[in-house]
Amino acid sequence: MMGKLLRAQWMPLLGAIAVAGVVLSFTNKEFGTAFNVYTILQTAAVDAVIGLSQMVVLSVGDLSLAVGGIGGLVTIAVGNLFSVQHWPIGAAIVGALLIGLVCGLLNGIIIAYTGISGFIVTLATGTAFTGISYGVTSTIPYSNVSSVLVTLGQGRVSFFPYALIVTIAATVLIGGALRFLPIGREVLAVGGNREAAVLSGLSRQRATLIAHTVSGLLAAVAAVMYVGVLQSATPATGSDWLIVSFAVPIIGGTALVGGEASASGCFVAAIVLAAINDALIVLNINTDAVELAEGLLIFAAVLAGRLGQVVLRPGQASGTRRGGGATETSGAPAATT
Amino acid sequence: MKARTRALRGKTTSAPSQAAPNHVTAAKLVRVRLVLGTSNSSLGLVLLIVASWTIFGLGGSGFLSSFNLYSVGQLAARDAVLGMAQAALVVIARMNLAVGSIGAICASLLGYLLVSASVPLPLALVAVCVVGILASLLMGIVELRSGLSSFIVTLAFLSAYGGAALLVTGAQQYEITSKVLNRLGNGSLFVSSLCPLVAVALVCGVLVWLLYTRNGLGWRMLAVGSNEQAARVSGVNVRTVVLASYAISGLLCAIAAIMESSYQLNVNAGVGSDWLLPSFIAPVLGGLALTGGDISVIGILLAALFYDSLQSGLTILNVPSYWLELAEGLVLLVAVVLDQLRHSRRRSARYRPTEIVAVLAEEPVA
Repeated sequence: MMGKLLRAQWMPLLGAIAVAGVVLSFTNKEFGTAFNVYTILQTAAVDAVIGLSQMVVLSVGDLSLAVGGIGGLVTIAVGNLFSVQHWPIGAAIVGALLIGLVCGLLNGIIIAYTGISGFIVTLATGTAFTGISYGVTSTIPYSNVSSVLVTLGQGRVSFFPYALIVTIAATVLIGGALRFLPIGREVLAVGGNREAAVLSGLSRQRATLIAHTVSGLLAAVAAVMYVGVLQSATPATGSDWLIVSFAVPIIGGTALVGGEASASGCFVAAIVLAAINDALIVLNINTDAVELAEGLLIFAAVLAGRLGQVVLRPGQASGTRRGGGATETSGAPAATT
Repeated sequence: MKARTRALRGKTTSAPSQAAPNHVTAAKLVRVRLVLGTSNSSLGLVLLIVASWTIFGLGGSGFLSSFNLYSVGQLAARDAVLGMAQAALVVIARMNLAVGSIGAICASLLGYLLVSASVPLPLALVAVCVVGILASLLMGIVELRSGLSSFIVTLAFLSAYGGAALLVTGAQQYEITSKVLNRLGNGSLFVSSLCPLVAVALVCGVLVWLLYTRNGLGWRMLAVGSNEQAARVSGVNVRTVVLASYAISGLLCAIAAIMESSYQLNVNAGVGSDWLLPSFIAPVLGGLALTGGDISVIGILLAALFYDSLQSGLTILNVPSYWLELAEGLVLLVAVVLDQLRHSRRRSARYRPTEIVAVLAEEPVA
């Protein structure tokens, strides 16, 4: 178990960041404070769930561009149900989560039963979801947010934000479900080799449907957390989730072609990204560099994964490159119809 | 067709009798599909455009005014070029998520060269096109070197290029004063309702059409798109084809950025932030399969015209602009679902050439 943990793809990254973090906290007075660590973990808590939402779809060999759109719709659902319809906050949260679930289910149904590529379907539905949130609110955010949500998003014990509890729970649940539940294994099997899975009696449709539904629910969880963090329910939520949603699982070692997923990797990757983001701000480096850094990190992570494969399993890695090259280079992993 | 002759020569050693018919049917198939693919989705689009123009013309005041038609043409021209930039990679079964970020780099560079560096216009335009090509080529090189999917490579470059453009310019606003550019983007061509940019889009369209129908390189691109391994085995240099496709995509992104700068005249690194959706809507509505091997320039041009007519028409019918995004998403969704239902039989048959030939032999080709 320990050995496996040490060989995880994100381990070198985590090591480098830990060393850099320790050095930074000695040289910079702000970086090591409990409040700053709390800020990092608070950002990471939301990003990790956004990443999990994408990871579930990636593991079935598909992808979703609608994570941000669902996030936006759920955000305004929370705001609307609580401050306009005057639902109690518990009911509002449950209602909003259901909306996210239904959005994901809708994606899943369209993709599983028409055979259109997930890329184009989620591009369309994601835009439609964003359109609904802008249309309903006329772009005006709901600023009256329940104190319960604010406590969830802003509360902390020293450096530990309450929001992180939700993230840890989600990580454990999703990681466990993929590893131990039959449906989780089915999702991974279909993602790993669609034809082999179908030939052995698994249902591609069911796996795709479940993956997209769970993804919608996770995007909704992230959105509810984000309302608390921001203390306002704005329809602009989710507009910048696209890159994060892919960066987190990919840096965390989830395979883009499906069949491999690492929930704990998502968790670590989100913390790494948030820490880099924070360091760039604390060190007074231009915040525009964050976007650039994110792009370069995706590369670094994917290439490091490749390199690790080549070093550890030379024959296999070159095999994937030759044989799997056709599937991997033919556009998006799931752009097959 | 260098590739084809080489493939033929390879085959003559083993099965000389079969090589020639295969070669002929393959060529015929490509040609038949080009014609059919074009007419089918294009006819639907023409009907859609006529229907929407009728509804908007009758329902709202001013849709058919020359002022409104002018602005529809202006926007549709840019979206058509953008669609072709995306299509250049969709054809070879890849995609370019970084169209917007390359646009941001090109527009900022154009602003910098014209305003801060006072470079003459022709030189600036050439420089912008070269940078667009290079930026896109770099992605192609990275894709080939790393063996990663184009999706992830261009996604990473979407964020890297976007960040770089912001970082270098510091989100500075450039006010372009060039009279020539202004006349290109806001002047009129022959009649007051026609923007000169429409001509730019049509010229690009004709060149792209010539590339895919009359040029060996374009044919090789279609071959790589429909079956990369088969193309490689038959002697197509996949590497060259991929790099050329990336270069064309980058050039068209740069042209789209110049077009947008010419009518905005006020550019910053924010140009291109909303390009992703239109860049996919035009080819997908135009009937291209994301799995590659298809091209329909007429489809892309018509789809861009329909997309911008719809936006403008909904605005004229007093639909609040906040709902436009929902309409865009729904149009794309309905279009792909209908297309899939209509063509599901033909699409699945695409990979069995003999069957298609049999089907085509029965159906009269118009």
